[in-house]
Amino acid sequence: MVERVRKGQVVSRRVVLRALGVFGVSAVFVPFVLGTPGPALGQGNLGALQPEEKVDATLTRLFGNRSIKDGSNVMKLDIPLIAENGALVPITVEVQAPMTPSIFVNHIYIVSDKNRRPMNARFSLTPEMGVAVIGTTLRLGGTTDVRAIAEMSDGTLLIAKREVKVTIGGCGG
Amino acid sequence: MAEIGKVRIRIPPTIKRGDAVRVRSLVIHPMEIVQRKDGKPIDKNYHFIQKVIVAYNGREILQAETTQSISENPFFTFSFKATEPGTLTITFLDTHGGQYEGTADIRFS
Repeated sequence: MVERVRKGQVVSRRVVLRALGVFGVSAVFVPFVLGTPGPALGQGNLGALQPEEKVDATLTRLFGNRSIKDGSNVMKLDIPLIAENGALVPITVEVQAPMTPSIFVNHIYIVSDKNRRPMNARFSLTPEMGVAVIGTTLRLGGTTDVRAIAEMSDGTLLIAKREVKVTIGGCGG
Repeated sequence: MAEIGKVRIRIPPTIKRGDAVRVRSLVIHPMEIVQRKDGKPIDKNYHFIQKVIVAYNGREILQAETTQSISENPFFTFSFKATEPGTLTITFLDTHGGQYEGTADIRFS
């Protein structure tokens, strides 16, 4: 192993990631590590992807049975009501909450209910951002609720959701 | 796909000290989706961005873990508090070991 590390340049990233993956699998107590590779299956990274599951299972997997409060009064979810093309749906999430070192928005999760793999993205924020706002472009398989869940640094969970009508799905198969 | 990994960053033309500045960034990437055969997903080394790291003057201010549910050529929006002039760096890491970086100069007017 040491020799491998010394070679540094020669060891491919994949090898390193796979080694990390073995560790990741043993780290059962990490409640959620996105991208923690599962057991290596064949040549691919299918096992490392987010699991295909129902959205309830995703929420339980991410947050256990912690209570999630309705945050629709402080969270602004900017996403079209009707998306013609599910392959590109812009979403912006803004949490009107202080961003100070003592209390700030720690994570924002984006979960879309009807996607095969509902867990879409996790953002880890810091007070240096000034405002808790993140945005990206999603791929939605069909008409679905999209949820944004904000986790404050004190552990409070807030949720806001909105239904998006999708005319053409963007996830293929 | 010659352009893969091209990063574009858009910041407002004028920035004042202390502003929370909104930044939009774009990366050219296929964000490959899971293929299926007979209803079953095929196991292969899918090529997509799994991590985005934003650093301001070397300090990491935002990290995103992304999946295949993010679109092709994705946009990422975020804000940062402009406390001093310097550089904003956005790094995208994909599952094939690709590392794409974009930088923007932050100057006060």
